[in-house]
Amino acid sequence: MFRICDITGFKVDLSSEKLIRYNAVFAVVSLLLAVVAALLLVLTRYQPIHLLGAEWYYRLVTFHGLNALIFWIIFFEIAGLYFGSTVVLNTRFCSPKAGWVAFILMASGLVMSNVIILMGKADVMLTSYTPLKAHPLYYLGIILFAVGALIAVALFFGNLMIARRENAYGDSLPLFTYGLMTAAIIAVITLATGALIYIPTFLWSLGLVENVDPAMYKLIWWGLGHSSQQINVAAMVSIWYMVSFLAVGGTSINEKVSRSAFVLYILFICLASAHHLLTDPGVSSAWKVWNTSYAMYLAVLASMIHAFAVPSSFESAQRRWGYNKGLFEWLSKAPWGNPAFSSVILAIIGFGFIGGTTGVVFGMEQTNIIVHNTIAIPGHFKGTVVIGTTLTFMGITYYLIPLIFRRKIVGFKWAKVQPWLFFIGIALLSISMIVLGQLGVPRRHWDSTFSGGPFTHNFNPAVDFFWALMMLGGVIAFTATIIWILIVVFSVFLGPKVNGPQDMQLTISPLAPPAKSHKGFEAPGTLILTFVFLLVFLAIFFLNWKWLAATWYVK
Amino acid sequence: MENESKREKENVPFYRMIMDDFMLLMFLGVTIYAIFYLLWGVMELSNIPTIPEELKETLIK
Repeated sequence: MFRICDITGFKVDLSSEKLIRYNAVFAVVSLLLAVVAALLLVLTRYQPIHLLGAEWYYRLVTFHGLNALIFWIIFFEIAGLYFGSTVVLNTRFCSPKAGWVAFILMASGLVMSNVIILMGKADVMLTSYTPLKAHPLYYLGIILFAVGALIAVALFFGNLMIARRENAYGDSLPLFTYGLMTAAIIAVITLATGALIYIPTFLWSLGLVENVDPAMYKLIWWGLGHSSQQINVAAMVSIWYMVSFLAVGGTSINEKVSRSAFVLYILFICLASAHHLLTDPGVSSAWKVWNTSYAMYLAVLASMIHAFAVPSSFESAQRRWGYNKGLFEWLSKAPWGNPAFSSVILAIIGFGFIGGTTGVVFGMEQTNIIVHNTIAIPGHFKGTVVIGTTLTFMGITYYLIPLIFRRKIVGFKWAKVQPWLFFIGIALLSISMIVLGQLGVPRRHWDSTFSGGPFTHNFNPAVDFFWALMMLGGVIAFTATIIWILIVVFSVFLGPKVNGPQDMQLTISPLAPPAKSHKGFEAPGTLILTFVFLLVFLAIFFLNWKWLAATWYVK
Repeated sequence: MENESKREKENVPFYRMIMDDFMLLMFLGVTIYAIFYLLWGVMELSNIPTIPEELKETLIK
């Protein structure tokens, strides 16, 4: 059963549309759970308020981590995989029944794990390092979720096969779907590793296995824990290309290079998981250096290619639409009133300048030691997963509401402000956490003043200022997320129906016209911005080496 | 018609054949990760000598 979309002209499989809707709704619910916990955690770590007791602090660290990093992201990605493999390719869903089985497994996993955490039977944090032991149902919940997600990924490949057999696309997959295929392959690696570690841990929690070696657990767990975030990176970048296409009719100025960058992700990005073990004595330096440097840099190269390719696709299209004056008219005349566009641009800035730069510095064996196990590490991944992935997912939702849920966006003025507010909040939160970590503040610590303990530590007085800034950033980001959730809920359940292109509040641009003449660089403005980024990166890079040199004074 | 599409397939450059074959890409991705991250790591951890029983007991005490 299909409907023809009166806005895009796409043939939409109704069973696929229903599955996309349900997965997206569960993603939003997971995000709500995650941010409520996040606010309570921020208000606890900020010492003048210190809201929660130690027990609930660690309980909610577990709850927040699982809902934010696993449930929200993967539910949304599954919705994206179904969208990219059926709607975009004008083809049918290979097995709707299996899609529902996958969804039910994932939803039951979410409920089971969350209930067990809130009952206080799994205060093990997201990493659940052995010998910390949770209730067996906690592990079972995660296993059910992972099995469901794995079925969903298999269905994505099934849809691709049908599309290929039916010649639904040309020679190669569209770039957006190609990026999603990258995300799906990384998901297979991630979920298989998850099974490899969670199944023995589940059996251990039941008493059927005597011991799970902590070093081995950590090695394998990070193959899941970090790689799962690389699914986000691939999905996020795919959406960047998609929004360029939808908002200004832009395409990559060199698709071959963009596709090669995705292939580099497939081949090398999962090896970067090794940087979580940089201070572990069990693995050799050769293993650490190969995985976190040589191999990881190939994945970093891929990100830098995308970081140039996406803005240059915007610039190239804008110039072809006639915004040619100087270096940056294309940017000043960009569709800033389109919340999906502003979300993506802000996500690219935050992901590159905050998440990307710190990712490379913290991922190196030498400079990692300055911040290992400090609050700078979650500060770094607030710059990748939250400013990058979450803001991108929020942005594309503004297109999904009219196209998939067939509703107008309620409170569109708020939707225009929301990405900026979210960006400011998370940027403040993330940068403050990174600075706090550089000043030695530990992560996952209920009371970093060590009050009442046998040992105390006097931090640099600047710490107080950055704690306040972090709290402020957290509150702003929480408010922005709640605004987004309210917009989504009101639009989806109470919004006026979309009856055709006249009801679209966001532009769907036709493909930008071909260039009339071509002289010099195709995207000079982006080139300048790229050099600015490289200068900032070099400054941060050398600053960290300077700090490292100052840590141990050598006579 | 069939011959035409056959000829088109034959003309596909090698790099694109690899880039468009998602099963091959999946195989390569899984293999590189399994060898360099998992197997190499597991091998190194497995080769750590076990703590002598006497020392272990002293430490536990």
